Amino acid sequence: MSDQIILQLKGISKQFPGVKALDNVSLDVRKGEVHVLLGENGAGKSTLMKILSGVYKKDSGKIFLDGKEVEINSVNDAENLGIGIIHQEFNLLPHRDIAQNIFLGKEPTKRGPLGVKVLDKATMYSKCNELLKTVGIDLDSRILVKDLGIAQKQMVEIAKALSLANLKILIMDEPTATLTKGEIDKLFSIIRKYKSMGISIIYISHRMEEIQVIGDRVTVLRDGKYIGTVPVKETPPSELIRMMVGREITNLYKRDYNEPGPEALKVCNLSSRGKFKDVNFSVRRGEIVGFYGLVGAGRTEVAKAIFGEDKYDAGEILINGKKVKHHMPSQAVQNKMGLLPEDRRDEGLITKMLLKQNVVQASLRKVFPKGILNNKVESQIATKYIAKLNIATPDENVVVASLSGGNQQKVVLAKWLLTDSEVLIFDEPTRGIDVGAKAEIYELMNDLAKSGKAIMMISSDLPEVIGLSDRIYVMYQGKIVAEFNHENASQERIVNFAIGRGDTL
Amino acid sequence: MTYAKIIKQLKKLPGIIYGLVIIIAFFGVTADYFLTFMNMMNILKQASVLIVVSLGMTLAILLGKIDMSVGSTMSLVGVVTGICLHKGISIPLAICIGMAVGSIIGFINGYLIGYRKFDYWIVTFSNMGIAQSLALVITNGATIPGFDSSFRFLGDGQIYGVPVGILIAMAIALAIIYLSYNTKFGSNIYAVGGNEQVARYSGIDTSKVIFKTYILSSLLAGFAGILLVSKVNSANPIAGSGYEFDAIAATLIGGTPFDGGRGGVLGTIIGACIIATLRNGLNMLGLTPPIQFTLVGFIIILIIIFDVLNEKYKAKKGGAANEA
Repeated sequence: MSDQIILQLKGISKQFPGVKALDNVSLDVRKGEVHVLLGENGAGKSTLMKILSGVYKKDSGKIFLDGKEVEINSVNDAENLGIGIIHQEFNLLPHRDIAQNIFLGKEPTKRGPLGVKVLDKATMYSKCNELLKTVGIDLDSRILVKDLGIAQKQMVEIAKALSLANLKILIMDEPTATLTKGEIDKLFSIIRKYKSMGISIIYISHRMEEIQVIGDRVTVLRDGKYIGTVPVKETPPSELIRMMVGREITNLYKRDYNEPGPEALKVCNLSSRGKFKDVNFSVRRGEIVGFYGLVGAGRTEVAKAIFGEDKYDAGEILINGKKVKHHMPSQAVQNKMGLLPEDRRDEGLITKMLLKQNVVQASLRKVFPKGILNNKVESQIATKYIAKLNIATPDENVVVASLSGGNQQKVVLAKWLLTDSEVLIFDEPTRGIDVGAKAEIYELMNDLAKSGKAIMMISSDLPEVIGLSDRIYVMYQGKIVAEFNHENASQERIVNFAIGRGDTL
Repeated sequence: MTYAKIIKQLKKLPGIIYGLVIIIAFFGVTADYFLTFMNMMNILKQASVLIVVSLGMTLAILLGKIDMSVGSTMSLVGVVTGICLHKGISIPLAICIGMAVGSIIGFINGYLIGYRKFDYWIVTFSNMGIAQSLALVITNGATIPGFDSSFRFLGDGQIYGVPVGILIAMAIALAIIYLSYNTKFGSNIYAVGGNEQVARYSGIDTSKVIFKTYILSSLLAGFAGILLVSKVNSANPIAGSGYEFDAIAATLIGGTPFDGGRGGVLGTIIGACIIATLRNGLNMLGLTPPIQFTLVGFIIILIIIFDVLNEKYKAKKGGAANEA
C-alpha cells in the first residue's frame, strides 16, 4: 500500500423521492489499499457505490480518478475507467453458463458471415477458463450458474468483476454474507493478491472481525453523511460502532433468564427424506431455543415442516401436549404458531401492501368475523403495534416495501402477536438488520419470552445464538448433533459440532 | 461448424422432438392420406406461416414479456400489402409498404415498453385491438381477393415439389437462430429476460434491447401475414386472428416458458410443426378447428405436467446424490 491517492469522491449528494440518501459525502482511496465502508443499513454505502459504478447518477459532487476529474454516467463508463463492482445481491443469470455471465454485456466479438459482428465464443470460453484459474476456481466455464453452489456463485461474481481489462478499483458490497469460514479465507487471499498488484478495494461489510483482518482504513457513513476516516489498526471496534450508530451500545444481548413453563412445542423423530432425519427437540414456554448450523444443515426445513409449509415423512409434532399434523400453514396458525421467515420480503410480508394491511393479514377472521374489512379498525390495531414495537414509520398507511429491514421485521412480528401466537419461530431474525434495530429486536424477543411465549430461533449468527438462547441445538447434515444450555455453550464447541467434527477440541 | 452446432443444439432440445414423431406416427396409422408427400408438403406450407410469426413471439417471451399484437399485425400487413398490389404497385414495394406499416406497431410496442416502462400486457393487448381495427377499417371488413401468380409464388409456389413458403421460413428461421445464439443482441435478449436488473448492471442498454426485439417481432409477424395472403390468395382483415394463440402455444411446447431468459427459437420451430401437424391430422380425422383449440390447450398442459415431473425427478436425483 502506498499513500498515493487513486480515487477521490468530493461532496457527493443524491436525493431519492422523500429521502436524502447522500449528503455531501467524500471519500478518498489509496492505491492498493482495502478501504472499508462502514455504516448501518440505509447509511448510504450502497448508494455511494452505485454512483461510483454508474448504476445511479449523482445529483452533485465530483469524482477524481488518478487526479483527473471523470464523469461516470453509465456502467460502461465505470468499467472503461477500470471500476468493477460486486453487488450485494447476486447479479447472475441462472440459466446462462459461467462464461456468458462473466462476459455479459462485454462479450468478445468478431466479424461473422456477411461482415456482421458476431460473438467470438472460442475466445470467450478460453479467456473465461483462464480467468477462473487465476481466481482459483476449478470449474468448467460452460456450467450453468443455476447448478452452482452459493459460494461458487460468489466466486463467479468475483471473477466477473476481475474480468475488467484495466481494473483499478474493485468494489465489494458485503461479499462474505453467504460464505463459510473457509471460503472467506479463500476470498481474503484473493483480495491480498490483487491488493499487492496495486488494485484498490472498497469493501462494504458489517462484520467487525472481518474488518480487523482485511481492512486498512475505514470510512464511516451515517444517515447519508460522512462521519470520518480512520486507520483500522488504531481504532477499536467499540469506537467504530460508536461512529456508526452515533451512540454507545454496551450490551447488545440482554436476556432475563426465567424458570421456563410447560412444553409448548415438542418434536419427536421428525424425518423428511433428503432434508432432515430423526429430529427431536422441545421448546418450553418462556424459553428461547437457538438452532445453529451451517447453511443447508436442515434448520429452515425443520421449521417449514413444523409450520405445515413442507411435508415430512415420519415423526410427531405436539403443541401443548396435543398431537397435531399441519398439512398447510393455515392449520399451524390456528394452533397458535407463527413463523418469521428468513426471507422477509418474499415470505413474511406482502411488500406492496400497506403496513396496517400486513399487520391484520393473519388475523382477518378474528378481527373481522363478519368477513367485511374495516379501514378504521385496521388503522387502530396497526397504530397500537407501531407504538408497542416502536416501529419507525410516518404512519400505518405506508407501503411496507419503503420500511427498513428492522422495521419490516417488526411488522412481521406484529402480525403474529395479533394472532396471539404462543409458539414463534424466528428464522434468521436479524439478518440484514443494522445494529441499532438489532438491539431492539433482541429486547422484544426477551420480552416475549418473559411473557411466556415459546420461541424457536434459527440463526447463523453465533454471538446472537449464544447471547440470546436458553438452550441451543446444533444441526449438521439434517440431524441434531448437540444440545447446549446457555451456561455451558462455547463458540468453539458449537462450531465444531456444526462443521461435523463432533466434540474434538 | 454451424451444422455441428445445430446438431448439438438439436441434442439439447427437450423431448418434444419425439412428441412430433409420435404425433406423425399416430396420424400415419389413423388417417388414410396423412403420410403422403402431398399432405406432408401441405403441412409444411401451413407450418411456414406459423414458424415465422412464432419466432417473433418467442423472442418476446425470451425477453420475459409477450407480444399479443402479432396476430392482428399479420392481418394488417396482409391487407395493406394486398391493397398496394391491387393498386398496381410492384411486389417488392408493396411488401415493403406492408412491412413498414407493421413495424409501426412494433415501434409503438417497443417504445412504450422499452423506454416508457409501460406494462407489456397492456401495450401489446391494446395494439392487438388497434391493428385489428385498422385492418377492418381500411378494407371495410371485406376480403381482398385474387393476386397474380408471381406474388402467389411466395406462399403457394414450389421448387422441385418443395413449397417456396417453407424454404423462406427456413431461411428466416436460420437467421433468427443465428441471431439468438451467436450475436450480442441475442445474448442481451436472454439477459434481459433472465433478470433485467442484472442486465442493466452489466452495462446493457435494456431499453434498446426491448425496443429492437418488439420491432423484430412485428416485422416477423408482418412477413408471416404476407406469406399467408400469398398462400390463400386473398387478404382477409381477420386472417391473422388466432395466430397469437398458436404462436404462444408453439413457444411453450418448444420449451420456452413465460418467465423468460431460457429456452430458444429452435424448440419453437418444432413446436410450430407440431401444431401444424396436429391441425392437419385432426382435420383429416374430421375434427373441426373449434375442437382443435381444446386439444392444443390440453397438449400444452400435458407438456407442463411432464416438465414439472421431470424437474421433480431431477431434484430428487440431486437430493439423493447429496444424501450419499
